[in-house]
Amino acid sequence: MPLKNHVREARQAAQLTQEALAMKVGVTRQSIIAIEQGKYGPSVKLALELAAALGVRVEDLFELEARPERGTR
Amino acid sequence: MSGMRSYYLSRMLVAVGFGVLFFLGGASWWQAALVGGAAIAWFLWAPRSGRYRVAPELGVTALRRDERSQGINDTAGRNAFVVLMLATGAAAVYAGLSGLSQVPVRALDWLLILGVLVYFGSDFWLRRQA
Repeated sequence: MPLKNHVREARQAAQLTQEALAMKVGVTRQSIIAIEQGKYGPSVKLALELAAALGVRVEDLFELEARPERGTR
Repeated sequence: MSGMRSYYLSRMLVAVGFGVLFFLGGASWWQAALVGGAAIAWFLWAPRSGRYRVAPELGVTALRRDERSQGINDTAGRNAFVVLMLATGAAAVYAGLSGLSQVPVRALDWLLILGVLVYFGSDFWLRRQA
């Protein structure tokens, strides 16, 4: 199942720039951009660090997006 | 970028070292200067490239890969290794079919260039995708 995230919304709510968030969790700004665009799924450790830096729970930041069920023939 | 003095000083020494090595290896002075200059340009660009996490407090090792960059680096290296091994095998088979007793040494230069191209090509493509 695809991983959906709310990092951008949480970051904007925390009034942090991508650069500032990257500095807080010790990654590059490109990694934050890739995560926000859903191109990169972070490790559990980085997901927890992001949640802590943004002051939210990790399950509020990431969720598994349910795929539509296939039709049967 | 403050606090990066030791990083820049160490990399200048490395760049000069590259140039000297090339010169001692038989390159002309301008080729050695070109290699040294390219190394300096790379080291100046690297902290601003977004490829590395910059941690000035770490001094000479101020540039670190984060987990995404490390993953991309690992995949690019694996791709280059696999292509290099397959190409080497193909070259050996071709040499055998052509009646040569061994793969010409000159072919190894091209195989290494292929490996380097695959590494940087993979790195570039993966950074755009992930």
